[in-house]
Amino acid sequence: MTKTFIIAAITATLGLSTAATAADLVFTSWGGTTQDAQKAAWADPFTSETGINVVQDGPTDYGKLKAMVEAGSVTWDVVDVEGDYAVQAGKAGMLEKLDFSVIDKSKLDPRFLTDYSVGSFYYSFVIGCNKDAVSACPKTWADLFDSTKFPGKRTFYKWSAPGVIEAALLADGVAPDKLYPLDLDRAFKKLDSIKADIIWWTGGAQSQQLLASAEAPFGSFWNGRLTALAETGVTVETSWDQNITAADALVVPKGTKNKEAAMKFIAAATSADAQANMAVSTGYAPINLDSSAIMDEKLRMSLPDMQSASQVNADMDYWAANRDAIGERWYAWQAK
Amino acid sequence: MALLTEQDNITAVGKIRTVRSRNFALTVPALLLLVVFFILPVVALLLRSVMEPELGLDNYRALLGSTTYLKIFLNTFSVSALVTVVTLAIGFPVAWALAIMPSRWASIVFAILLLSMWTNLLTRTYAWMVLLQRTGVINKTLMGLGLISEPLPLVNNLVGVTIGMTYIMLPFIILPLYGVIRKIDPAILQAAALCGATRWQALTRILIPLATPGMVSGALMVFVMSLGYFVTPALLGGTANMMLAELIAQFVQSLVNWGMGGAAALVLLVVTLTLYAVQLRLFGTARMEGR
Amino acid sequence: MLLNFDRLGGWKWILIGITGLTAAFLILPIVFIAALSFGSSQWLIFPPPAWTLKWYEAFFADPRWLEAAGTSFSIAAMVTVLSVLIGLVASFGLVRGRFIGKEGLRALFLTPMILPVVVLAVALYAFFLRIGLNGTVTGFVIAHLVVALPFSILSITNALEGFDKSIEDAAVLCGASPLEAKLRITLPSISHGLFSAAVFSFLTSWDEVVLAIFMASPTLQTLPVKIWSTLRQDLTPVIAAASTLLIVVTIALMLLVALLRKGLKS
Repeated sequence: MTKTFIIAAITATLGLSTAATAADLVFTSWGGTTQDAQKAAWADPFTSETGINVVQDGPTDYGKLKAMVEAGSVTWDVVDVEGDYAVQAGKAGMLEKLDFSVIDKSKLDPRFLTDYSVGSFYYSFVIGCNKDAVSACPKTWADLFDSTKFPGKRTFYKWSAPGVIEAALLADGVAPDKLYPLDLDRAFKKLDSIKADIIWWTGGAQSQQLLASAEAPFGSFWNGRLTALAETGVTVETSWDQNITAADALVVPKGTKNKEAAMKFIAAATSADAQANMAVSTGYAPINLDSSAIMDEKLRMSLPDMQSASQVNADMDYWAANRDAIGERWYAWQAK
Repeated sequence: MALLTEQDNITAVGKIRTVRSRNFALTVPALLLLVVFFILPVVALLLRSVMEPELGLDNYRALLGSTTYLKIFLNTFSVSALVTVVTLAIGFPVAWALAIMPSRWASIVFAILLLSMWTNLLTRTYAWMVLLQRTGVINKTLMGLGLISEPLPLVNNLVGVTIGMTYIMLPFIILPLYGVIRKIDPAILQAAALCGATRWQALTRILIPLATPGMVSGALMVFVMSLGYFVTPALLGGTANMMLAELIAQFVQSLVNWGMGGAAALVLLVVTLTLYAVQLRLFGTARMEGR
Repeated sequence: MLLNFDRLGGWKWILIGITGLTAAFLILPIVFIAALSFGSSQWLIFPPPAWTLKWYEAFFADPRWLEAAGTSFSIAAMVTVLSVLIGLVASFGLVRGRFIGKEGLRALFLTPMILPVVVLAVALYAFFLRIGLNGTVTGFVIAHLVVALPFSILSITNALEGFDKSIEDAAVLCGASPLEAKLRITLPSISHGLFSAAVFSFLTSWDEVVLAIFMASPTLQTLPVKIWSTLRQDLTPVIAAASTLLIVVTIALMLLVALLRKGLKS
């Protein structure tokens, strides 16, 4: 009896586990509305053009990624990662070199280009505020870090990544061109002054929920999430003052079995059309230099790259080099 | 029986004996499963803690030498202890009431208890997340009643973790304690009354002492389970309430540092197994059905 | 007096009060989730501006939810069968056997129950990646089996210990083969133990999230994984709808169990 059951279990197993065939390409990103947009703007047209089915997975998890590559059992073919991680992982030998005979790099924003990665989309950390919930909205980083002038909870991105530390330093009066190397002591001291009032958001959807429910009536957000939130009828005020830009990157983990298809996918995803469509639906900026020409002028103005007047670019090379050290200190500070 | 000859009886008894001596073999499938898919992988993980990034005890030095990590250890213990105490304080009277209530009432409470236990863990935690937030139902109700003027901070802090974990652990203490109290002979308490003991004396000198083994074993169980909890503190606690299990996940997932992850896992493992040994020494394995 | 409800006097009301409040505390989130699932606010604002069924529509429109529920069910079913079988066999060894280290072995079998799941999850994840079991049903079943087996062994050994072995011996003396005696005498007598082993194994797998997060792959997700990732990424009230449906299934299961119990008793 035992035997039959085991055999039945094993047959059932084999039948089910072959569901993802070798021809499928697995694209991993951060989920939510952003990944939905990536699917619609990149994956679906890619599938109808090439016949290659794209399976969506997420959220991106660097621990999983590393374990896969080390074990030589890679199930993710194209991964959307943060820009600084891409630089670091490329240097650490975790990624495949991109094939620029397939991907046309002449049209891609050189700021986000390395041998191992291209930009995915580019976004800004901006100051968002629920106008219905408070009488006055913070306009600058200094405002957001001032809990006497703006009492109440404020929300920031929880994970160690470019954005919050820069905001703290800007709020403390550091000139944008003097940000790097980051003065961590000064940044944490500034952060200490509002620590009790911070609610951390762990993902884009949570940041939207916190703002919409006025759990935290203001904070620092990805600009695209505010655009999406405003569309659902919430009165959102966005301040672009000293918006801090960073880009996601597309990478291919070392040892993928679908390398060729992965390169084709990246080429398609970074094409002018795909990038323009992505920008339209998310409010993030395209990394293909030709995209803006084919986009609606008015919408164009609401994207991060039109806010360059007071824009601050996060230094990905600096972050790549110091990512681990900052991360350890960041989490230790949070847990304190 | 009369139909069987003497010889038949001897072979039958012999059969019973051989079966007994072969009994170890019966445990082999379970043992194999545990060795290959439990002991082996866990040992391999622990080995990484002394092998990555290089051979040595550096990870342990970093882990035990840092005040931040020590604070997380301390926090793990104090949260677990707090949850245990709160659970016990609520669980004892409830178990007591259930043991003596008219059975129709008791079965309603049992149904609720089981329903809460069987409802998906994430669902329960998610519900608390929304209930407890500043703009959540509880704060709105309290403010509506005029009991408070400012919303109470109930989530992303110790209060949230304690409420969420107490919620999960309550059945694990109520159910076994109920069994223990049911088994107490009411005659003992009647005798106490006849001897002139007051209610309070009967409670503190008889009922509580008789229920103590059940309480200690239930409390140990809850404490040990709380030590390794991951989902609830991650969703209901703030960053200052981080617990060990979350730290392990953070090392592995966010910081991609398997060495440190392994080291933290070993610390958690040693503490858990020590407490488990205490539990076994005190009560044997029989009392663990409480979980 | 303390164990007689009617003679508790004023204490009776204190106990009733505490029990009532605790029951309310236990039922509150369950009722709340159900209410939330009908609210129209996407951002979980409660009470909602209006009532709607759209989250249920979204649930049934997205095949991934139903797929995840199906996966959860089939994994839990396999885990239940294997856990009861292996647990039954091992329990006979543990209860009837006389070998050195028996108590140690019994303690070992229960260890997965108290070991922090996250440690096992991380360890198994690394191991399964190496042997290619990650993201397969086999991997899921094995992982859940490891944590479900202790519950099985616990329930069945308890039942076996309460069973009078001499009845089985008598059957053997009367000419039954040992196996026959076990199947026809012992198993029916410990059916309540087998039953709770099955229920606990099923629930352990059905509700398990930490191991599942690590074992899941793009094409293989259990319901808790789907809830977890939605919780982290979208936070839509579809979660509340899914949860409410789960609660309904749970209540149905509980009623079924209660009926079966009654049937077993009579």
